[in-house]
Amino acid sequence: RRDPTAAALKCRTVLAAGTLSVNPADPGIWSLGERASAPYFTFFVFSPTGSHVEWCKQLIAATISSQISGSVQPDIVSRDNKVKMFQNQVPLLPGETIQTTVKDVMYICPFSGLVNGTLTITDYKLYFISVEKSPFILDVNLGVISRLETICVPIQGENNKGLELVCKDMRSPRFAYKMEESQPDVVEVLAKHAFPLSHSLPLFAFLYKEQFPVDGWKVYDPASEYRRQGLPNESWTISKINSTYELCDTYPSILVIPTNITDEDIKRVAVFRAKHRIPVLSWIHPESQATIVRCSQPLVGPSDRRCKEDERFLQIIMDANAQSHKLTIFDARQSSVAITNKAKDGGYESESFYPNVELNFLEIPNIHVMRESLRKMKDVVYPTIDEAHWHSAIDQTHWLDYIRLLLAGAAKIADKLESGKTSVVVHCSDGWDRTAQLTSLAMLMLDSYYRTLRGFQVLVEKEWISFGHKFSARVGHGDENHANSERSPLFVQFIDCVWQMTRQFPAAFEFNELFLITVLDHLYSCLVAQEVPGKTVALWSYINSQPEDFTNPFYVDYENHVLYPLVSSRHLELWTSYYARWNPRMRPQVPVHQTLKELLILRAELQRRVEELQREASSHSLSSSSDHSPTHTTGTPLHTAV
Amino acid sequence: TFFFILIFLLIYLSPGEIVVNEVNFVRKCISTENNQEGLWGKLICTNFKVSFIPQDPSPKQVFTSTLSHLLLGEHDIPLTCLEQVVTVNDTKGKKKVLGSNQKLKFNPTELILYCKDLRIIRFCFDEAGPESAKKVCLAIAHYSHPADLQLLFGFEYQGRRYHESKGIERVNGSPPRGGLQTPMFDRSSDWDREIKRTNASEWRVCSINQSYFVSSSLPEHIVVPASLTDQDLMNYAVSFTDGRIPMWCWNHANGSALVRMASLTDPLQHRKPEQKIFAAITKSHPQRNEPFRSDLDKSLPSILDIQSAFVKLRQICILGEAFLKHSAEMVYHLDGKNSSVILQEEEDRDLNCVISSLVQLMLDPHYRSLIGFQSLVQKEWVMAGHRFLDRCNHLKKNDKEESPLFLLFLDCVWQMMNQYPAAFEFTETYLTVLSDSMWIPLFSTFLFSSSKQRRQHLMDFAKHKAIPQGEDQVVYFPPVWEWSQQFSTKDQTLFNNPMYVGKGAACVQNGEVKTFKRTKKAYSSTLRGPSTPVRNGIKGGEDTLTRRVSLVTELKSELTPVKDESPSERFFKEWFSRPADLQGMLIPLVMPSHMAFWKLFFLRWVPEACISKGGPVTTYHKLSQLVDEIEILQSQLRQYKGTSPRSTPLPNPGGPPSERRRMYFKASSPDDPPTPPDYLTSSFPFTPEGNLSRRTVQGTPISKFLNGARIWLSTETLANDTV
Repeated sequence: RRDPTAAALKCRTVLAAGTLSVNPADPGIWSLGERASAPYFTFFVFSPTGSHVEWCKQLIAATISSQISGSVQPDIVSRDNKVKMFQNQVPLLPGETIQTTVKDVMYICPFSGLVNGTLTITDYKLYFISVEKSPFILDVNLGVISRLETICVPIQGENNKGLELVCKDMRSPRFAYKMEESQPDVVEVLAKHAFPLSHSLPLFAFLYKEQFPVDGWKVYDPASEYRRQGLPNESWTISKINSTYELCDTYPSILVIPTNITDEDIKRVAVFRAKHRIPVLSWIHPESQATIVRCSQPLVGPSDRRCKEDERFLQIIMDANAQSHKLTIFDARQSSVAITNKAKDGGYESESFYPNVELNFLEIPNIHVMRESLRKMKDVVYPTIDEAHWHSAIDQTHWLDYIRLLLAGAAKIADKLESGKTSVVVHCSDGWDRTAQLTSLAMLMLDSYYRTLRGFQVLVEKEWISFGHKFSARVGHGDENHANSERSPLFVQFIDCVWQMTRQFPAAFEFNELFLITVLDHLYSCLVAQEVPGKTVALWSYINSQPEDFTNPFYVDYENHVLYPLVSSRHLELWTSYYARWNPRMRPQVPVHQTLKELLILRAELQRRVEELQREASSHSLSSSSDHSPTHTTGTPLHTAV
Repeated sequence: TFFFILIFLLIYLSPGEIVVNEVNFVRKCISTENNQEGLWGKLICTNFKVSFIPQDPSPKQVFTSTLSHLLLGEHDIPLTCLEQVVTVNDTKGKKKVLGSNQKLKFNPTELILYCKDLRIIRFCFDEAGPESAKKVCLAIAHYSHPADLQLLFGFEYQGRRYHESKGIERVNGSPPRGGLQTPMFDRSSDWDREIKRTNASEWRVCSINQSYFVSSSLPEHIVVPASLTDQDLMNYAVSFTDGRIPMWCWNHANGSALVRMASLTDPLQHRKPEQKIFAAITKSHPQRNEPFRSDLDKSLPSILDIQSAFVKLRQICILGEAFLKHSAEMVYHLDGKNSSVILQEEEDRDLNCVISSLVQLMLDPHYRSLIGFQSLVQKEWVMAGHRFLDRCNHLKKNDKEESPLFLLFLDCVWQMMNQYPAAFEFTETYLTVLSDSMWIPLFSTFLFSSSKQRRQHLMDFAKHKAIPQGEDQVVYFPPVWEWSQQFSTKDQTLFNNPMYVGKGAACVQNGEVKTFKRTKKAYSSTLRGPSTPVRNGIKGGEDTLTRRVSLVTELKSELTPVKDESPSERFFKEWFSRPADLQGMLIPLVMPSHMAFWKLFFLRWVPEACISKGGPVTTYHKLSQLVDEIEILQSQLRQYKGTSPRSTPLPNPGGPPSERRRMYFKASSPDDPPTPPDYLTSSFPFTPEGNLSRRTVQGTPISKFLNGARIWLSTETLANDTV
């Protein structure tokens, strides 16, 4: 029996050195359907939510066979004091406590049959470990659970219970266990901690105590971000009108609005816009001064109400850009929906009341359609994939159609600014869902800063969090009401769009796929709640403490380049390494960036040697010119074969 | 006038090329954003190509860095590359697909050329003389339907070239086949070397087909079981279609052999010779294991299916899947079951070519090198008698025989390359360029249907062109592998995969030479993974609702620890359960979810599908530069090693001379711009500019294809075409 800790140490250190070196003869990897290899599991403890990081690394490592063995010396010093023996112990995060432990639980693996082991439930995760044949660990953080279901288990007599965890991250692990009189029911414990808000408990994010060397809450400073964009300028001002959130409670305190408008007018505009979300600047083109402005729908209503101040407001926005005498409004909704919204006191800008305004509907369906689409997707990818109907099954989810609509809409916005030099106003109904998707994608296309690791964090902080995307409602943090119609995977959709762009422009983004997956996993983990600053450790602290893991080695700064993705169905792919990652048969492709990393190490090594030899040669020629003694024919280091 | 002289000077004519017809003031529809008008110039038909010479010679010289052909300009199309020549009269609403020797009753206002490399090119004659436009159209149609193989331009060209270069070569005393490292398998020594390389000691080269005495489609030298005498083979040959006795392809390190054969002429009468040969194949196996026979006609789509799938295009991936899957099964028999495999097909000249070469590509890393791959194509396609002439339909005589099998094979290779990007020495650009070369009639590789036909035609040709007897045909009619005929040394570096070159460097550095022999160690493992149904269709068709209801029944089957699993399923699962060794056996995943669409090949001419500043080339760029740097460093190290400390001139920091450097993108100097050059698009090194854009092809087949339509480039859609 091999010692998992030793193996883990080796793996960890090699990883730390930058290469992924896996012994091809090591049968541990990939042996069981899911993340089942002992060497990798033991070092989950290194990082708070290391499971997916290591999972990804494992995927990468498992597909890499050759390594530059000579050039990397194992360096066991790093962080080894944190390594503990976890034969049968559950690794805990600082602040995490065990709630219950149940023995003799069967994990019903859809890929490898039954696995017998011990189930532990903490206030943060569900942890299943089996040491039967080959070590097997299943680690599900509770925030990802959408609902719990009891299922029938036709085995081994009475008192058997079955449990299915329907998760938000596209999997549904199932367990069978025996009811013990003395113990509280697993389902109850799970329900309590998976849905703490429904049980008047705090989210784990508030209990979490890890300290990171980098403070993620400092990532986004609105003032400096606007300064970067060249704001304020003569047409736009940074306003404190919402400093007490009185004007609009879902907007940030700092807003960028046109200079030539009075507070009184703004207040009237606020009344005319749904949820008081007035038009504010999101981004300004550094050359043409064309702007992306976001807001909510105007409260036109069935009687076609008008608001002079609102009309003037849009006119001022148009005038702020000297390059164009038009203003384009992109309404993300389907035109039919926008029309029905009039009956509900909402509506859209009438081109006859707003002179020089061009209104476009982007025809994007609402959050409920998106939720349904992702649900269908889950059925396609988990637990088994019907290969014979793979393409048609994917088509039927329409997920990629919606991705296409979003990317096409964002590209239209970007093109309007870049080629048309025209300012645009983007809104949907409330201006916090589709609007956030569209503005942030368009900004990603237009501004290379947002394509950096830091810039992307600013983008999410700014366009999503500060402008009030309802993360908790859309994700359903800690809430057991899984049927809640407020839930919708809009942020997932946005990240998917970003991933599509990284596929088409593999060198233009500083972050990598792992970064995107990490962001999504943290969306559910509740470990780092994004909406409660100051009280929890931010996702960004975690990421920025180890940026090398999340950096794309191919990155080159396409500064001042506008990147338009192609949106034809030929160019959009299903993100299987995210959606279908729990299926062991969906092997990821050997990542090209891994080869690049190995080559970089090789280059460094060669450079070192050449420099060494150069030094030697020059010292030799110096000494040989001064001293003619023939004794020191060194040249010993030259024997290294190249 | 001076103007016309200038234009005339700009057409490049290859040796032996003559202008047949030409017309001025033609407008070519192109797809640049700032050039809605199109490009004005002169349309020329020669005996080699359709050429277009723009009036303004340099409208935009941005694309100078893309692949440039030595014999063909940016706007040139070889006549053999034409699929269909369509003339249109806009005002009369008429159109006609032109064949050879046809009449045209209207004056064309437009000419649309559908090309076999998937380009669609459109010329407008609004300002051109109607009669001369008509003449050029008819000339193009006529010359693209040659009556005889010898009328293909290659014969004229290579004859001239031979006589022009002869003097120089004599002076240099260069040997025949100078510089060409790819074995042609037209001589027994090439086969001998292959036997030695694969340790096939129980097999021998047999030359009973000398002068094509036994079979008209087999090569002169083939490899057969050592236990069979020439006389035996002579006797058996009559039993097989076209005398094609089973022919050895390759040996596995475990001693199993891959053999291909045609079917028996009369299965009832000739069972005996077949049994004798099978017994001999068994005898050639170290463990005397029975060979496994696979009848490809029964297990794979037919040639006709392949042709129609290609027309539908979307299905080409699905077809590739079937072929890769079957090849993987053959790999299981050779490697997992340690038994020889006999591939049987009626003629042994089509499906066998695809499967045998794919199997070898999966099993033997040698064939994943550039030279190895070329020798594989030479061995399993050219010499084995794949009917390139008919399948490519160069003479446009019989459309029914046309079938893009070789393209299908290249697509399969690309699928493997896509899954194992560092395992191949060559790039997808190489595969694309190789497929394009099929439509350039200058190389002996793709012009003939058998090595006998090649021999005969080339002997006639040599006699005709007064080339001395005994001269090696490779010298006077080179194969496509002589890439310097088409591309500069610099452009040929686009064929080199930096990941492979770089890995090679890493291997040598460690002093460990990775050999093919390690397969055994890698595959025989005691580990038994959990069962997974390899065929995933088991639960297919069930929707969520029924899944919930039948949970109990499903659980039952789920709870069975090990399901029925065939040995081959276990074999593949085990192989996939561990990291792939790029220098060992490589099996691609062939499920639909893993089959990708070869964008570079299929979409390179479609302007709308071209990702500006994006695509895989942006990573290729960086890898290429990095590997170039590594090679410079290595050469410096070598120089340090070579120089004795006494006479130490410091090594040249520039590294090896640029013509010896293998990477297309050279290591960047500090002066270089930080971002990759602007001309890098997803179509690189091709440029879709000269092709029709969607704006100008609304309603044409290609736009339907882009919208997801299934039909493409077929005559029916052409008829519905609203030009």
